[in-house]
Parts: sequence; structure tokens; C-alpha cells
Amino acid sequence: MVSQKVTVTNEQGMHMRPATVFSAAVTPFDAEVKILFNGNAYDGKSVMMLMAACIKCGAEIEIQCDGADEEAALAKAVELVESGLGD
Amino acid sequence: MYKGIEASRGIGIGSICLIVDHDLTFETKHIDDTDAEKTRFNSAIDKFKAETAEMAENIRKNIGPKEAEIMEGHLAMIADPTMAGEMTKMIEAGQCAEAAVTAVCDMFIGMFSKMEDDMMRQRASDISDIKISLLKILLGVEDVDISKVAPGTILVAHDLTPSMTSQIVKDNVVGIITEVGGKTSHSAILARALEIPAVLSVPGITEIVHDKDTAIVDGTEGDVYINPDGEVVSKYVIKREEFIRAQAELKNFVGKESVTADGKPVELFCNIGTPKDAKKAIECDGEGIGLFRSEFLFMDKPHLPTEDEQFAAYKEAVDIMGGKTVIIRTLDIGGDKDIPYLELEKEENPFLGYRAVRYCLANRDMYKIQLRGILRASAFGKVKIMVPLVTCVEEVREVKALVEECKKELSAEGIAFDDAIEVGCMVETAAASLIADLLAQEADFFSIGTNDLTQYTMSVDRGNAKVAYLYSAFQPAVLRSIKNIIAAGNAAGIPVGMCGEAAADPLMIPLLISFGLDEYSVNPVLVLTARCIISKWTKEEADALAEKVLSLSTEAEIVAALKEAAK
Repeated sequence: MVSQKVTVTNEQGMHMRPATVFSAAVTPFDAEVKILFNGNAYDGKSVMMLMAACIKCGAEIEIQCDGADEEAALAKAVELVESGLGD
Repeated sequence: MYKGIEASRGIGIGSICLIVDHDLTFETKHIDDTDAEKTRFNSAIDKFKAETAEMAENIRKNIGPKEAEIMEGHLAMIADPTMAGEMTKMIEAGQCAEAAVTAVCDMFIGMFSKMEDDMMRQRASDISDIKISLLKILLGVEDVDISKVAPGTILVAHDLTPSMTSQIVKDNVVGIITEVGGKTSHSAILARALEIPAVLSVPGITEIVHDKDTAIVDGTEGDVYINPDGEVVSKYVIKREEFIRAQAELKNFVGKESVTADGKPVELFCNIGTPKDAKKAIECDGEGIGLFRSEFLFMDKPHLPTEDEQFAAYKEAVDIMGGKTVIIRTLDIGGDKDIPYLELEKEENPFLGYRAVRYCLANRDMYKIQLRGILRASAFGKVKIMVPLVTCVEEVREVKALVEECKKELSAEGIAFDDAIEVGCMVETAAASLIADLLAQEADFFSIGTNDLTQYTMSVDRGNAKVAYLYSAFQPAVLRSIKNIIAAGNAAGIPVGMCGEAAADPLMIPLLISFGLDEYSVNPVLVLTARCIISKWTKEEADALAEKVLSLSTEAEIVAALKEAAK
């Protein structure tokens, strides 16, 4: 299992569109992708759970990947969040 | 008459089609053949996806891609593993499909409706829409086919879901009335995009009306009439014609240059109060920002905004305007605008007291934070600084010196800014008007604030009903003052703008054309109206009218003459 902390920088936080972009990008990986935020773990492949986490701009989240391609999944996830999730 | 929220402008007169909410109750039962139930569920999901995709496509074609995102959002949500996936798990455990859909959707509705954020709460209504659509498919309930209603229909519903709205044929539906929803709800956005008059949140309207009742929807005022008498109908028929004619005329001015009838170009800018308003200015075809009030930054918080906070807000507006001019007015507090944490003393005469540039020059450290914020934003577009309530030359000189000081500091820190940034003044006091020629030697531009100029020139408190009759920009004293200010600016070769309400007044515009105003700054929604009026006057006609008006000695005569000449 690998993990890394990142700060969400896109203005709207994890809203519909950024959440859709994120989940669509990590879904192809076999690894399980989790977002740790505010003491809870959310399924990174679920748009609904990502929105439900209510992650705002400026929030620090931890991305945790577990599975065969965990390194690649984590790299992709971190890159997406850092680049502002397509906003 | 019934009152609601005016959600989409215009007048609709027609015959009601009442959309009744269906009974979607079902019997919860234990399922033994879970595979058969899963098949039933999956085919419902497939049907939902196909219908939703078709609606999204319809909306994209008929309304626009942005509006279609609502339906695309529904598709993304149902495709989510936690939605259909959770429902499937419940069915496998023996629940019927209806119960599984209800349980999972209700869980998410509960989760989203509790959130603080407006946009997130909107997701709760999306999920509710999905739930209803799925239950209708599962229970085999058929909706009224909105796409087949007769021409001249007014739709009345408890709520208009995006799925209903997507079936609307614009030529057949002339009005919309609902019991819930506000100006920013999906139904309001779609009604505006379709240009169908709509009044939302009319309490109990579905209980009051019947199919085929006659109704009037006034989406401009938020009024609804059910089975009105002939007199009301004929009044609204006229109102509707006027509205349609005015809209059609204004549409011709979208994307056009702002020019007088004899081809002299002028600038048509907008007044805004927050960075977000800049989007409205762009949507309304504004050519720049003539007045960006900076007070919101100071009023929204319990403490002074930092330089970074100010910079971010100014830059946001500058970015939205994409290279178009943004004139930022520095802090204009005091008078009737109080900021609690500054603990300003109560004054006998606040409008004649410690306010605006007077306050700022006495609190230079605070003022420099704002000037630095503006300067930093100037690196990203065309920004100008505007100083409020100037009464003497020294004030302009002192502000300019402070701006230079800030520039030196920023240069030393290696921070970018526009070295050629213009510093202009509001001309809104009797003193500034009388020395406009002297101020024009110091300032890079003028902007006439007609609201304060009228108040100070007429010595009248516009908040006092007993003397409010004196408060008019058409008083001979105010008109002479405006003429003098514009002439002084023109003579010195600096641009003169106007950012008070008068700049969009159809009666005032010909006079401003005659006087030689360069820039009109108006409320975004009035951009097209102002552009239309400006286009009707030549300088020669405007001059003749101005000459006549300035020879009159009372406000009443002046207004009468302007009304008679109005185009």
C-alpha cells in the first residue's frame, strides 16, 4: 500500500465535475483508491462518495492506493489533484 | 392574484396543463427469485440511462451544452458504483428493486441536503429526480407527455424537474408556474434559457387550478392570475406586446459597438460589487467595468482584508474581464456605509464627515494595503484606480504619491504591476465640480457619480422622504454641474465617465451625448438598453435638445421636455 498527502487547489473543491474527473481517471486501475479526509475513508472511484466527503478548496487529503498497480494509480491521482482536477 | 418568485422574465397568457404528481407508493416485499429481480432492476436502469441520455441530447440541441450538464450529471451519478452497485447488493439480499432504489437514494438525499454548500444541496434534488424517474419506470407509471401539449399551454406543477423541462417545446409552452424552487433552481435556469416566463414558489397553486383554466404568468413581476376577467387580460395582452417588442429590439444590440446615430463610439461599462458580478457584466455584453466597488471585501469579514485577499478578488474580476478595462474604486466607507470593526465614531453629519478618501488618507497603512493589492492585479489586465469623494487637488496628489510609494516597494520586492496604471477621481461633490479644470490637470480620468453629486449639489438627503422631491439629476443645478465636469475633462484631454444611475437613464442619455461623455457605466442588465438609446441620437439632435433644456428654469419643465423628445 502506498499513500501521499496533497492539497486540493481547485476553487470549487470536490464538486460534481472535479469528482467525475477524478473517479473516471482512477477507475481503470486495479488498485483500490481511498481518500482519507476528516478522519473518514472515501472510495475514490465513487463520484457520490467523493462529493459526500465535502472536500473544499485548500483542504489537505491523503490518497491511499492498494493493489498491483498502486504506484501508477497514486501517481495519476496526485497529479490530477495538483493540476486542479480539470477546472 | 397570486404571488411567487419571478424566475424568468416576460408575460405568458394561456391555458393550464396541470402536471399531477403520481402516486409512487409501492409494497415492500421479500424477493425469493433475486436473479429475476436483478434483471428487472437492470432493465429499468438501462431504460433510465437511455431516456436520460436522450434528454441530455435534446437539451444540448435546443438549449445549450451547459444546461445539458444537469442530465449528464444524472448519468454519472447512476453509473457510480455506490448507486446502482449498492442497490444491486440490497436486491441480492432479498429486497425488491423499488425498496432498494428508495433506500440508497434517500441515504444520499439525507447526506447532501444537510451540507452547508448550496451547490451540494442541489445534488439532493438531482438524486430525488433520479429516484422518481427510476420508481416511475419500475412501477410502469406514464408521465404526461409534455412534448405533446397544445400551443398556448401554461405548465403548472409542484416542481418542474429537469427531465420535464427537457421535453418542453418552446413554441407550445407560454408560461410555467410551480410551488417550489427559486431563481437559481434548475427549472428557473432552464426557463430563462428557453425564454419562457416563469413564476416559481407559488404556495398551493396545484390545489387551486384545474386543467384548461386560463392563466396569466408575469415572470417579470412574479404575479400569477387564474381565470382573470377581460380587463386584466387585455391589460396583459398589451404588456406582453410591449415586452416582446422591447426584447426583440434589444437583441439587435448584442455584440454591437456602442455608437451614436452619427457614428461616434462611446464606451459602455458596468458597475459591479463583487468579482462574481464581472461574469454578469460579460454575459450582459458590458465592454468593461467602470465601477468596481471594493467595499464588499471590507464588509464580508470581521477584520480588515489582507493584501493577498484583496489581490485575489481584484485579479478574479480582471481575469474574468479578459483584458477589458476594470476601474476599481478604493474604499468608500463612512456616510451611510459603516464597517463595525473600524469603530468609526458616530457623527452629527456623516455625509460631510470622515469618509472615503478622507478616511483612507488618514489611515495610510491600511490604504497602502489596498493600493498594493490593486497594483498587483494590474499586472494581469487593464486596471485603473479611482478615488472617491475628492474635494481638492491635494487629495489626488497625495493618493498618487502613495501609489508611487507602493510601486517602489513592489519593484524592490520583485513583484509585477502595471507601471502606467491610471489614477482618476470620482467627481461627485460640488467642490470637485467647480474645480474640475484644476482636478483634470492631476487626474488621469474622471468618473461622475450622479447619486452623490445630486445629493451634495442639491443639499438634500435622499433618504428623507420630506425632501426627496428635490433629489433629481434633472435639476438645472445638477445638469450644469455635469456639463461643466465633462467640458473640463474634454478640454484637458482626459476621458470622462459616469457611473451613477443617470448613465442608463433614457432621458439623460441625449444630454450626455451632447456634453461629450466618453464612458457610460451602468448596471449589467441595462447595457443593451443604454446601447439602444445611445444609437438613436446624433450629436446634432442631442445638442439641439440640450440647448433647449438648459434654457429651462425648473426640473419639471426639463423632464417634460426630455420626455417629449424621448426616442
